[in-house]
Amino acid sequence: MRLACVHVPQLALQAALRRSPEARESPSALLTSVGKNRSRVTELDSRARSAGVRPGMTAAQASATCPGLRLFTATAADAEAGAAALADVGYAFAPRVERDGERIYFAADDLTRLYPQGDQAIAQAVQAHAARLGFGARVAIASTKGSARAATRAHELAVVPAERAGARAFLAPLPVHFFTDDAELCAAFRRWGTRTAGAVAALPTSAIALRLGPAGAAVARLARGEDDEPFLPQLPPDALEEAVELDYPVYELEPLAFVLRGLCDRALERLAGRSLACAGLTLRLTLDPRGLDVREIPVAAPTREAKILVELARLDLARRPPEAAVVGVHLIALPARVRATQLDILRPSGPAPNRLAATLARLAALVGPENVGTPAAVDSWREEAIAVKAYPTGGSSGGSSGAPATAQLVEEPGLCLRHRRPPEEIEVLMDRDGPAALRGAETTARILVAAGPYRLSGEWWRDTAEGGSWARDYWDVHASDGAVYRLHRDGRSGRFYLDGYYD
Amino acid sequence: MVRALELVRDPEIAAEISAHLVSLERLSEERGRRATGLAALDALLGGGWPRAALSEISGRRSSGRTAVVRAALAAAISAGESTALVDVGGTLDARAAMSKGPPLLWIRCLAAQALKAADLVVAAGGFGTVALDLCDARLRIPDAAWVRLRHAARAQGTTVLVASDTRRLGAFAAAAVDLGGAPAFDTEGPPLFARLEVRAHRLRNGRAQSSSSQSDQQQQPCVSLAFMSRS
Repeated sequence: MRLACVHVPQLALQAALRRSPEARESPSALLTSVGKNRSRVTELDSRARSAGVRPGMTAAQASATCPGLRLFTATAADAEAGAAALADVGYAFAPRVERDGERIYFAADDLTRLYPQGDQAIAQAVQAHAARLGFGARVAIASTKGSARAATRAHELAVVPAERAGARAFLAPLPVHFFTDDAELCAAFRRWGTRTAGAVAALPTSAIALRLGPAGAAVARLARGEDDEPFLPQLPPDALEEAVELDYPVYELEPLAFVLRGLCDRALERLAGRSLACAGLTLRLTLDPRGLDVREIPVAAPTREAKILVELARLDLARRPPEAAVVGVHLIALPARVRATQLDILRPSGPAPNRLAATLARLAALVGPENVGTPAAVDSWREEAIAVKAYPTGGSSGGSSGAPATAQLVEEPGLCLRHRRPPEEIEVLMDRDGPAALRGAETTARILVAAGPYRLSGEWWRDTAEGGSWARDYWDVHASDGAVYRLHRDGRSGRFYLDGYYD
Repeated sequence: MVRALELVRDPEIAAEISAHLVSLERLSEERGRRATGLAALDALLGGGWPRAALSEISGRRSSGRTAVVRAALAAAISAGESTALVDVGGTLDARAAMSKGPPLLWIRCLAAQALKAADLVVAAGGFGTVALDLCDARLRIPDAAWVRLRHAARAQGTTVLVASDTRRLGAFAAAAVDLGGAPAFDTEGPPLFARLEVRAHRLRNGRAQSSSSQSDQQQQPCVSLAFMSRS
């Protein structure tokens, strides 16, 4: 089995840099809180190191040492999002990935079909994808986890030979401390004069075990390329998460939309790597000083356009603004597969699924997702009852749907009632024969002809709180303004309502 | 065709093949028009609503505008085309919407959003007929909006029907029909309102396809339509 190991050194710093990609051009360092109001540099890049910044410095010391230094504060949100994004580097290439701190492992056997050039091409592709997600990664492919891990420490890009002799020759020149993090063990090997893996591999394992215990024997096995560490892969999580903790509270929509754009961009980049799109959003806004605002933002059709997602979120935020300033944003994207469709040669092609999905999302952003879809029947006798269900974006949306359509309206064109939803309350003057005049917000007219009443009632089995149990007397009336209206009198309140007009 | 189908022994396969066969009549139909779903209106317009253009249906309340729009949508659905309805106020009659076929894309919106929504749908491409129902809308639409919508309709080959209470499109409409209705009642019982008699006047019909249909139009600028209650 060939395993790929992706190592992102200083993952916490690189995770923080993902939200400020412009800072990659300047030296940067990560500050971690080590006590009350005390924070120290814990991670730094090579430019900061060459300028003299060292771990353990305070922010003031680091800034004084390197004037152009960008300092980031370590946050749990960044760390979580960074670790998840690193895992997504693996999920872009394999269905299962093992996560191990700053490293991930995944099986690379099947990738030879996609990359027939060999393991080198696979490693390069993995590294390029990691760069797209904002990580400077070291990638190695080997037959065991230990060999791959040691190779990532030694090289930016490495392919350890598959056969045991070749792997042993590859590992032989590497220093011993690449195979273990135990400083005492490294010191012991150094005292023995065994500074490379080749020297350790030449020693008998039983002798090493006798003197250094099982940990020493494990290092010796690793140095020979005889690793028995199991590969423990996991399936990807159901939802994809990105988060950011803001440096100061945000009160207005525009800055919040700017933050959301960055989150959506990063989330969609990760989804695209897994050939998925976003089918729904959940926003968890941390409020100042305390509180949480959770909102679900439905997406009409899976999309990969950040602009659409931001627009949907923005509309939702504009409709229901958060109760307080926002200090943290946690975005959860629901992944969905964008299905390819088979068009029918004999019937007109419908809209292209991807364009249709984007259009539906834009329409949902414009008029609200509850107002875009296809009409659906409701289990009710109320005439105005109608529901909207999601418009199919797959093959059935266009003319390529299976059976030939038979629209009843073509053979027998029928009258249409234009419903007012909800019915408008109006005043109706009644005489002995029925309604004689009506007055509403837009209409005041005498009634020339009235047909009715026609009584309808139903849903008596439901509670009144659920809007059930209704009784209505319906009339169709020809008014003096030329229109034919349908109106009803509520059986309980005695009030009149205008249902709409025929057209 | 029938003989060829007789050779197929499996009735299910024969039904499947017959469902996909295209009749000669349909093949020979004018490619520049889409059926209105109403024979009299097809005759009035010389084959139907023009493709890749804007068409207008105007008339006061209860003049049959909505029924004409629904008939056109139903005809497009029966031809297997994707259709969309931009419905200002969300007035769609549930019973009218329950026809079989490819689903109707229904967009409920405010008057101010209607043009933008129609523009998005037409620009998406692949929709045969898009209806913009502005019947009760109170808004002034700038000419630039119609220019943009017409350009999108031309580019995508979409028939765009605009229904409103007054003429709004002017010269932007390739075809325009004005409707006037006369209701007929049945006071005995449901359905209460039985029938709507409609006179359809052709106001504009550019790019007629054949000389014969042009002469028909000149002879017959007005037709009668009747819509029955569904109850």
